[in-house]
Amino acid sequence: MAGAAAQQVSFGGLADRLRPYTPLFLLVFLIAGVNAAEPGFATLTTLSVVLSDASILFILAAGLTFVIMLGGIDLSVQAAASFASMIVAELLPRVDYAAFPATVLVGLAFGLASGFVHVKLRIPSFIATLAAAGVMTGLSLLMEDGRTVSLLDQGREESAWIAGAWLFGVPNVIVIAALVGAGGMLAQRYTRFGRYSAAIGAGEPAAIAAGIPVDRYKILAFGVSGAFAALAGVVLAARLSSGSPDLASQLLLPAIAAVIVGGTAITGGVGSIGRTVVGALIVSIVRIGMTFVGVDIFAQQIVFGAALIFAVFVTIDRSKIGVLK
Amino acid sequence: MLELDKISKSFGAVRALRDVSLEVRPHEVVGLIGENGAGKSTLMRILSGSMRPDAGAILIDGRQVVLRDPKRANEYGIAMVFQEQSLLLNMSVAENIFLAQEKPFMRLGAIDRRRMIEAARACLAKVGLDVDPAMKAGELDFAARQMVELAKALALEDRTDAPLTILLDEPTSILEAKDVAMLFERMRALKSRASFIFVSHRLEEVLEISDRVYVMKDGEVVAERLAAGVSAPDLHAMMVGREVKGEYYREARQSPPRADVVLEARGLSVAGAFRDVSFALRRGEVLGVAGVIGSGREELTRTLFGFLPQTSGTLLIDGRETVLKTPTQAVAAGIGYIPRERRIEGLVTDISIAANVTLARLDLAMRHGFIDHKREKSIAEYWINRLRIKTPSAAQLCRNLSGGNQQKVVLARWMAARSHILILDHPTRGLDVGAKEEVYDLIRDLSAAGAAIVLTSDTLEETIGLCHTILVMRDGAVTARFDAPARAKPKQVALLEHMV
Repeated sequence: MAGAAAQQVSFGGLADRLRPYTPLFLLVFLIAGVNAAEPGFATLTTLSVVLSDASILFILAAGLTFVIMLGGIDLSVQAAASFASMIVAELLPRVDYAAFPATVLVGLAFGLASGFVHVKLRIPSFIATLAAAGVMTGLSLLMEDGRTVSLLDQGREESAWIAGAWLFGVPNVIVIAALVGAGGMLAQRYTRFGRYSAAIGAGEPAAIAAGIPVDRYKILAFGVSGAFAALAGVVLAARLSSGSPDLASQLLLPAIAAVIVGGTAITGGVGSIGRTVVGALIVSIVRIGMTFVGVDIFAQQIVFGAALIFAVFVTIDRSKIGVLK
Repeated sequence: MLELDKISKSFGAVRALRDVSLEVRPHEVVGLIGENGAGKSTLMRILSGSMRPDAGAILIDGRQVVLRDPKRANEYGIAMVFQEQSLLLNMSVAENIFLAQEKPFMRLGAIDRRRMIEAARACLAKVGLDVDPAMKAGELDFAARQMVELAKALALEDRTDAPLTILLDEPTSILEAKDVAMLFERMRALKSRASFIFVSHRLEEVLEISDRVYVMKDGEVVAERLAAGVSAPDLHAMMVGREVKGEYYREARQSPPRADVVLEARGLSVAGAFRDVSFALRRGEVLGVAGVIGSGREELTRTLFGFLPQTSGTLLIDGRETVLKTPTQAVAAGIGYIPRERRIEGLVTDISIAANVTLARLDLAMRHGFIDHKREKSIAEYWINRLRIKTPSAAQLCRNLSGGNQQKVVLARWMAARSHILILDHPTRGLDVGAKEEVYDLIRDLSAAGAAIVLTSDTLEETIGLCHTILVMRDGAVTARFDAPARAKPKQVALLEHMV
């Protein structure tokens, strides 16, 4: 008989079947809830703010999703985004529009490097990416002695495509995030990378025995995560008109929360970009909603910690862990 | 004494158990047989408290009970001896017997080891095992550890007033004949204090030890017979529900291999595992490798698929010298692998059948660089039909399939990939009679189509029946080579003397 069934905590028949939709319910509930507490929340302006915030978070979380689905973690996304903001700010005056792809490539390179360290040197991903984060933060601080770099007029002009609102007044960030989301979803469903990532995450020994070059795809996933983090950093720099070593600080926990609360299991295998979209929206609503309702910005991290524990509790597949250390 | 009344259980769309009713009376051995997917394991899990039924009742001495978890089941006198052993090898025999039950031996917060060892000695005496309870479980051989498991189950006697029912799940699949005889002798001696449910695929053994036998098929109990009044072929027929064919291993279908050599080994060695293995495998040939644990045959099969590159010697695939450093290279060279742990290495159980079938050759389902899901579905459906895989659809997760069907999906993958060399590592392990026969037919189909197969198997009988040639290994070296043509199969004895 089929053994080794996925073991998620069970709340009983109907609840289990509804489980995959929990994030959606939560989203609706949150919007209604915050609006009830502080009417004026569910207006177009506020929603636009929420969506813009969610967009940046989503870009960060989207790359992370691939890594988490593989069963790893990338703790460097925050540092990578900040680092990228510094690089794009430095490059714009020098190479104009080429600064954008160049920065993403730098992010890709650092991601591939941490992936390589993790896969080939067999260092656990949380250490490899933590170390990468340290390196990137160090470089960010070194670049300008810890100072921020302003996007001068020329830089601002060239990043108008990010900071502007060209499509019926919809902020471009949202459009960019939507494109990233669509791209991610298509990649998951229609590319080799997407299929292999899912297989490796859900059953690595079987993926190996089927001949999949697992090492290569794992490294690639970290590269993707780094590239997306860099893109998020570029977007942040454009919005805030400057690059800084801690521009993306306070975003790591929300980014991870976005992935997990969206429904991707930290144990890997189960998950999708689509779920991260919902997760990013939930996290943004909570963030902005909390500010709206008056919760201290530092206390928000406490809320995220608690939410993360709850989300992992609900989604984690205990059969993958064997013994929880 | 113990009664199951209309137990039902479903996993999603799959109805694993349907109104199963059975009874265990005091001092009897009840045999339980059935194909994989028939529901035996699910039933055992429900009985041992690991799983709860969706419907139906469990009655002990006429009273309905709820087995919330294994501990509760223990309190009702139900203990399970697992197929894969559950002993902690780094702890002593006594510690294992009383694992999680140390309270009676506690004095001032510390465990009184001497008393525990004495108590363990008494438990071991019940099963007639004469070993020092202080020795580490890992130092015992498999058969002895099996007895310790049985002693552990029997230790329940002292903790509960309820009559004992011991569930034995495939206890003999890896035991040698003399150990099986000893196990049965013990069971007969113990019938005065416990009843047993004996689950096994070995029909002859079930008939030998059981008083009554239940036959399950497709989640239902289809027959209940007195062991004395029924024969193995009868049981076989009831299990598969169709005429049992005469030639179990389809020997008549064994046709001579072709001339061209596709896989050749010359002095192949992996330091510390095996040395100087040579063979020339031809198209259409099935090569068996026989040997006990430690003979090096397990490592040899891993080397042939790139898990364990050779340290010296030559491997030639289609005439080209190769060192397979990874399974990726092996697959690229046209080799396929049916692993012995199909749920871990064979299938990615949480993705669909279709995705598993195309996993080794995703390019077959791709068009213009992207996955074409319709094409993938039709490839999967082709194989589902061709191999008669029982599933509502190609999108079903492999997790929900029975063992035999899962194995077919793994085979489908390599057949879809058109592998011309196949390494079959215990391909029928854990499969029931009907599923085994289907695998044998497929093996004959494959070799008739020109595939070259290397086979390691659980039983000598299967190796001899299926193969054209057999290599016998012992302690890392090839000790004998046998030809096994269809009409002149060697005897097991002849192979055994080179194996041990």
